[in-house]
Amino acid sequence: MKKVILLAGLVMAACAGCSSMGVEPWERDVLAREEMQLTTDPLEAATDDHIYFSKEASSGGRGFGGGGCGCN
Amino acid sequence: MTISKERSVTATLAAATCTLLGTVPAPVDAQEEPKWDFNTSVLYYGEDGDRVQDASLKALIRRMFVDDRYLTLGITVDTLTGATPSGAIRQDGAQTFTRPSGNGSYVVPAGEHPLDDTFHDTRVALSANWTQPTGRAGLFDVGTSFSKEYDYTHLGVNARYAHDFNKRNTTLSAGISFSQDSVDPVGGSPRPLSEMLDVGDISNRSGSEDKDIIDVVVGITQVINPKLIVQANYSLSQSDGYLNNPYKVLSVVDPITGDTLARTPGIEGGPSGIFLFENRPDTRTQHSIYTQAKYYMGGKVLDVSYRYMTDDWEIDSHTVDLRYRWPLGSEKYLEPHLRFYTQSEAEFYRLSLPDPNDPNGAPLPAYASSDYRLGNFDAITAGLKYGWTTKNGNEMSVRLEWYRQTGTIPADQIIGNQANRDNYPDLNAVIAQFSYRFDL
Amino acid sequence: MGSPCELITEAGSRDRARDLARLVADEVWRIEDKFSRYRDDNIVHRINTAAGRGVEVDEETAGLLDFAVTLYELSDRKFDITSGVLRAVWRFDGSDRVPEPEAVRGILDKVGWDKVSWQRPVLTMPAGMEIDLGGIGKEYAADRAINLLRAAGAPPSLVNLGGDLAVSGPPSNRRAWKVAIEGDLEGSHDRLIELRQGALTTSGDARRYLLRKGVRYGHILDPTTGWPVPDAPRSVTVAADTCTQAGMISTMAMLRGQGAEQFLAEEGIQSWCRR
Repeated sequence: MKKVILLAGLVMAACAGCSSMGVEPWERDVLAREEMQLTTDPLEAATDDHIYFSKEASSGGRGFGGGGCGCN
Repeated sequence: MTISKERSVTATLAAATCTLLGTVPAPVDAQEEPKWDFNTSVLYYGEDGDRVQDASLKALIRRMFVDDRYLTLGITVDTLTGATPSGAIRQDGAQTFTRPSGNGSYVVPAGEHPLDDTFHDTRVALSANWTQPTGRAGLFDVGTSFSKEYDYTHLGVNARYAHDFNKRNTTLSAGISFSQDSVDPVGGSPRPLSEMLDVGDISNRSGSEDKDIIDVVVGITQVINPKLIVQANYSLSQSDGYLNNPYKVLSVVDPITGDTLARTPGIEGGPSGIFLFENRPDTRTQHSIYTQAKYYMGGKVLDVSYRYMTDDWEIDSHTVDLRYRWPLGSEKYLEPHLRFYTQSEAEFYRLSLPDPNDPNGAPLPAYASSDYRLGNFDAITAGLKYGWTTKNGNEMSVRLEWYRQTGTIPADQIIGNQANRDNYPDLNAVIAQFSYRFDL
Repeated sequence: MGSPCELITEAGSRDRARDLARLVADEVWRIEDKFSRYRDDNIVHRINTAAGRGVEVDEETAGLLDFAVTLYELSDRKFDITSGVLRAVWRFDGSDRVPEPEAVRGILDKVGWDKVSWQRPVLTMPAGMEIDLGGIGKEYAADRAINLLRAAGAPPSLVNLGGDLAVSGPPSNRRAWKVAIEGDLEGSHDRLIELRQGALTTSGDARRYLLRKGVRYGHILDPTTGWPVPDAPRSVTVAADTCTQAGMISTMAMLRGQGAEQFLAEEGIQSWCRR
């Protein structure tokens, strides 16, 4: 468990050092496209999250599930 | 005769403008930004072998307000039918079980995985979220969720804050959610590790049970270059309360043969063997790390994500998800999808249990469950999605996926004749979904 | 032009964007220099100081004058390019300094296209009268800029001259260009218009008006009375095929005062009025 937290902390710290990376505001044309959004289809993502929550022991990761269920 | 006055000024003006500019312009195409955005879908999920089938209607409705604020309402309606593994193991002969309600029994044919088909249920889930920018670089989201099915109620609240840095190249976010769920099992919740009793006997049952869940997520999103964006999240989930599945049992078996110990059912009917209701710890702490990258390659987009989960039930899992969006012109696309999943079994996962009344036998563990979802298995999803833009500029898509789970029982848990059978209720399911997204 | 102007274009490189910006800026400045009433070296100055003598104009000016005649007739003589002299008595600075009726009557005999002789290519006006192409110039410049961009094979672009804007086509990366129409308060926008093709102009008195004894005087003047058009909407936004058409329609709507919305509805124009 401690290893996980340490690893997560390192990943965050490494990313925080990313302040020099990135693009200028006028270079965002591709990133602005709908298909480049991190969650392109929120409905499909919510559907999958629910299916896999019901059939597996892991859940979420991307954000919040939005509610449990008594799925059997 | 009346001469139509309609558009007389516009027509003359159009002609005069053509003369002035010397060109014929294309017709104007303008509209007020739509205030309502509807994202709807119908879903069919079906497992083979008479197992669970789910038909679901889902909608996310967004209402935009000025200054980039919006309200998102979600509604989902699911109807579930079909049977689900009860946790008991297969036997060479037929088996009888009492229904969870205690009001009847059902027979499982010889050699088959015991499946309980009691569950025909309709579930409704509702959610509401309010999102608004704060300051120049912040975004705040707060919401609530509710769901109800005949034996389960969920109520929750959630909040999230995201802040942009470095010319919006870096985003840090943090979120928290609280859930209060209550289980009201059919027939009442059974005393853990007590026996499945005859029809009409609910002496080992009590009432409803609660559980609380707290989730915390922190994340960072980083633009790497004009074509690559990555995200990493860490989440912590803490569950407390009744975490058992009240309907799942374990077979009690002979220590040599591994066959289920026989039992004489009562006059009204009852179990043909000794089965004990499962028991799980009343707390669970899960940690997850999730990373995702989206890469643009000349019109095509590759979406790769990996999630690692570990918890204090000793379950570890890895999920790798790959999507590749392949545009066909500007109005259509194809998106193949592959997902790989593997998990190790919970520390208290058991295929079967020893006889608690055998003085020479192994002691009963404090916690035990043979729920296949806590076992050791690999799963693979393979699918294809096809999307297109309609004439009105709205979006539609269909996707078809196959989901397959194959499990492994730890070798040291297999006793006697159990080795001759395939004890894991492998899953094969089809997922079909049609979506329609439109504005008003 | 007296207001900020911008070009938004999807040029692949900085240099290309700069070239296109130069192309647009050169054309807009050319039109401004040629038709500005503040300069003393252009055709408008020659016309306004001709003191009753005829002036021969070039093709482009002739085209604009012919266009002005059409507008004069279409608007029941309320769109009149000789009404500029009224600015001598009307200064719309948000104060309460409304001119005396005698002062307005005095100027009124210097206003009226009916007093002008326009026999292409010669324009003859009585001494003391002036023409002011400010009501057409900006929109004309925006459309000329778009046409130049198209001829140069430019990628999808948007030309915005102080709120009068036109596009050369839909942007490639999203559904449409998004234009915010200013709300009542500075900065907060009330409406968002998605523009894929054509032009959008807004006529309004948000900044230019007089307020006296609770009566608000908008800056659109009726040349037949010399006074602001009563009951004109606070702002009219129009979407049309070209900036010129959009601008003229929004002006003509404002000139109808109370009847602005009805006019726009009868003509089937896509518009958004605010009162």
